[in-house]
Amino acid sequence: MPTQMARALAGEITPEMKRVAGREGVDPEFIRRGVAEGTIVIPRNRRRKNIDPVGIGTGLRVKVSASVGLAGPGDTIEGEVAKVRAAVEAGTDAVMDLSVYGDIDGARRAVLAATTTPVGTLPVYQALAEAREKYGAAVKMKVDEMFEVIERQAADGVDFLALHCATTWQTLRAAKKHRRVDYLVSHGGSHLMGWMIYNQKENPLYEHFDRLLEICRRYDVTLSLADGWRPGCLADSLDAAQVQELVVLGELVARARQQQVQVMVKGPGHVPLGHLKATVQLEKQLCHGAPYFVFGPVVTDIAPGYDNITAAIGGALAAWAGAEFLCYVTAAEHLGLPGVEQVREGVVAARIAAHAADVAREPRAAQWDLEMSRARKALDWDRQIELAIDPLRADALRRERSHGSHRACAMCGRYCAMQVVGEYLGKEQGVC
Amino acid sequence: MTRLLAARKGFITPEMEEAARQEGVDPEFIRAGVAAGTIVIPKNRLRKGIRTCAIGRGLRTKVNALIGTSSDRDDPEMEARKIEVAISAGADAIMDLSTGGDIDGMRRVSLERATVPVGSVPIYQAGIEAIEKRGGIVAMTPEDMFEAIEKQAAAGIDFMAIHCALNFEVVERLQKTGRVTDIVSRGGAFLTGWMLHNRKENPLYEEFDRVLDILREYDVTLSLGDAIRPGCIADSLDGAQIQGLLVAGELVVRAREKGVQVMVEGPGHVPIHHVETTMLLQKQLCHQAPYFVLGTLAIDVAPGYDHITAAIGGALAGASGADFICYVTPAEHLGLPAEEDVRVGVMAARIAAHAADIAKGVKGAWEWDLKMARARASLDREAVAGLAIDPALVRCYLEKEKGEPCSACGNECALRLVSEYFQQ
Repeated sequence: MPTQMARALAGEITPEMKRVAGREGVDPEFIRRGVAEGTIVIPRNRRRKNIDPVGIGTGLRVKVSASVGLAGPGDTIEGEVAKVRAAVEAGTDAVMDLSVYGDIDGARRAVLAATTTPVGTLPVYQALAEAREKYGAAVKMKVDEMFEVIERQAADGVDFLALHCATTWQTLRAAKKHRRVDYLVSHGGSHLMGWMIYNQKENPLYEHFDRLLEICRRYDVTLSLADGWRPGCLADSLDAAQVQELVVLGELVARARQQQVQVMVKGPGHVPLGHLKATVQLEKQLCHGAPYFVFGPVVTDIAPGYDNITAAIGGALAAWAGAEFLCYVTAAEHLGLPGVEQVREGVVAARIAAHAADVAREPRAAQWDLEMSRARKALDWDRQIELAIDPLRADALRRERSHGSHRACAMCGRYCAMQVVGEYLGKEQGVC
Repeated sequence: MTRLLAARKGFITPEMEEAARQEGVDPEFIRAGVAAGTIVIPKNRLRKGIRTCAIGRGLRTKVNALIGTSSDRDDPEMEARKIEVAISAGADAIMDLSTGGDIDGMRRVSLERATVPVGSVPIYQAGIEAIEKRGGIVAMTPEDMFEAIEKQAAAGIDFMAIHCALNFEVVERLQKTGRVTDIVSRGGAFLTGWMLHNRKENPLYEEFDRVLDILREYDVTLSLGDAIRPGCIADSLDGAQIQGLLVAGELVVRAREKGVQVMVEGPGHVPIHHVETTMLLQKQLCHQAPYFVLGTLAIDVAPGYDHITAAIGGALAGASGADFICYVTPAEHLGLPAEEDVRVGVMAARIAAHAADIAKGVKGAWEWDLKMARARASLDREAVAGLAIDPALVRCYLEKEKGEPCSACGNECALRLVSEYFQQ
C-alpha cells in the first residue's frame, strides 16, 4: 500500500489530509501539495487506529510535543501514562515515549493506547537497553538487533521515529578538531558514537539508511532525523559538528523523499538569541524545506530550574523564523525528570511560544487574542477564564490573588484603568 | 547640580565610578553616556546607601519589580516582604505603586527596606487623595498633582513615572483610532478622565517645566509614563501610541535642557513581529533615551503565565535596544502578586535580560554561559548550582536527585568511550 506521501504525489487527498485541512482551516489541496513536496508531514502509522491526525509544516499552526518515558527504577507505566494524560489535557499536539529502562514494550503500548495524538519514539534507546541486558554492554549491540527493535516499534503503530542517522565519523572528527565544549548532549547520539568507537564502524543508521527507509515505507512511519550534535551550550551553537551533521541530514532528507517516506529534521538545543534565525534558515536551505522540530531551544545555559522559560523565548523566536514543531522543555530539564505538574506547565510554556510565533506569522492567529482583549475591556471574567490558554490555572490564580475583589481585580482594586476610562470615553462598560 | 549637569561639566561622580566598576567599563564611558542622556543613574539627592543602578546603552539590561498595596489588598507587611524577595532574587530596582491604605507610610517602608533605587507614580496618590478629599479623581486640582510629586521627591524617591506625554493630541487620536482596550495605564486613565471631564489640558504636560523644577531640585530621574501603551496586541503600534511617543520625544529634549535625567516607559502588549520596530521608533523619536518596557507581552491569551509571555517579549525587546525591563508576574491580569509570584517574576525578567545581553554583546554575559557549559561538561554539580541564576532552587533539586552514577556497562560504557576519544 502506498504511503501518505506517495498518495499525495499521485494527487490523492487522503482522509488524513482532509482532517488536517479542517483543523487548520485551509484548503485540502494546500495540505496535499505540502505533503507531496515534503514541507508538511502528517505522522500516522498505517497500523495506528486511535489517532486524530496532526499536520506539521509550512503554513500550519506551530505544534508542540511532550516527552515522557521510563528512565529508572522509580518510574512506572501508570506514572508515565498520567504524564501523557496531563500533557494532552494541557494541549500538546504530540507525545514522545523516550523510555530507556524496564518494560519498554509495555510503556510504548500503554502510551499509544492513552492518547489520540501522534506518538513518537527513539528506538535506539530500547536496542541499547536490550544489548546491555544481553551482553552486559550497550556497545555490543548487533546491527540486526537494532533493526529488529526499529521494526518492532513500527509494527506497534508508532507514528514517528527519531533516529540519529547523520551522526557519522565525519561529524565526530569535526567535533574533535573544533574542540566542542560539550560533546555528550544527545543521549541516543552519544551512545551511538560510543558504539561506533568501540566497533570501529560507521553509524549503521547511516550505512544502512535504505534498510531503515524500507521499514518506514512499510508502516508509513514518518522519519524524524535526529541530531546527535545538537549544541548543548551556547558556545557550541552553529559549530562545525552541528553544521556538518546538518549537511548530511539534508542528503538523507532527499533520499527519504525519493522513497516517498515523510521526513522531518530535529534541531537544537542551546542557541543564543542571535543564532536562532540563522539556525532555522540553514536547516530550511540544507534540508530542502523539511519541517524543523526543535528542542526548545533554550537561549541561555545559566537558568536550570527555569528552562521552561528559556525554551519559551527560544521556541517563539525559532518558530517565528520558520521552525514548525516545538519539543517542550520542562522546569526539571538539566536537573531531573519532570513530575506531572511540570509536564503540564512545560506544555503550556511551549504552546505560548508556538502561539506567539503564530501571531507573528499569520494574522488570523491573533483572533484568539482579540477575543481575550474584548473580554478584558468588558471586565467579563468568565469569558477571560474560558479563553485562557490554561483556564484552570487562570481561575485558581484569580481566586487566590483577587479574593474578595468583585468587578475588577485586586491589582488596581477600585482604580481599574478599564473602569475609569470606560466612564469618560463614553463607551459601554462591561457587566460583571 | 544634578548628575546630568555634573556629567556634562566633565565630572565623574562616585555613582558613575561605581557603575563603571559593576559593568567593567571605563568611568569615562559612563560619564559620557549620562552627559549624552543615553545612560541614567536614578538616585535622589537625599538618598543614601543604595546599590547603584545605571541604565542605558552599552550596559547590562536591568530589571525592575513592582510592589505596593491596593484598595483591595492593604497589607504593608506583605509588601515589605515582597521587596526583600525581589531584591534577593536579583531585582536592580523596585517601584512602590501603592494605592491602598497609608500610602506615605508604605513609601517610608519601601525606601527604608530597599537597598536599590525606588520609583513611584505620584499621580496615584494625588488621584486617590482627591477621591477622599474632594469626592472624585476629576476633582483633583493641578496643585494636588504637583504637591504629590514634591512630597514624594522630598521623601527620597529616586525615579518617578509621570505621565507628562499625554495631551489632547493623543486623546483625540485615541478616540479616532478606535482601540480595543483604550487605556490600560492606571495613571493614564486617571489623567484622561480628568482631562475629558474638566475639558482642560493635562497639567503635567502644560506645566512640564514645573515638574522639571521639582525633579531637578532633588535630582530625581524622570520616567516618562506611557499613558497610552497598548493593552493588547491589536492596539500595538497604532496612531495613539505613536502620537504619545512623538510627544515623549519632545519632552526628553526639554528635560535634558533643564539638566534632568530622563528615560521613557514603553509597552505592554506587543506581538513579536512589532518589537524591533517599537524599540527603533522609541530610540529615534526619543533621542536615544533609555527605554523602560513593561514586558513586553508577546500574546494576550496566557493569564497565569504572563511572566513567560513577558520573558519572550522582554528578551527580544532587550536584544533590540530596551535597557530596563519591568517584570511581569504570573498574577498579572488576575490579581495582586504574592511573594512567590514576585520571585518567579524577577527570575523570568532576569532570564530575558540576560538572553538579551548575550545578543547585545554586554561584557561578561557570554562568559557566564561558557562557565556553566564547562561546569556541566565536567559534571561538576556544585559549580553548576553556584553558577545558576537561582542557586538555591538548583541545590534543592540536587538534594532530591542524589543518584549513583550509571555503571550498567562497566568498562565498556559508551559515554566513557566517547570521552576518551575526545581526550586523546
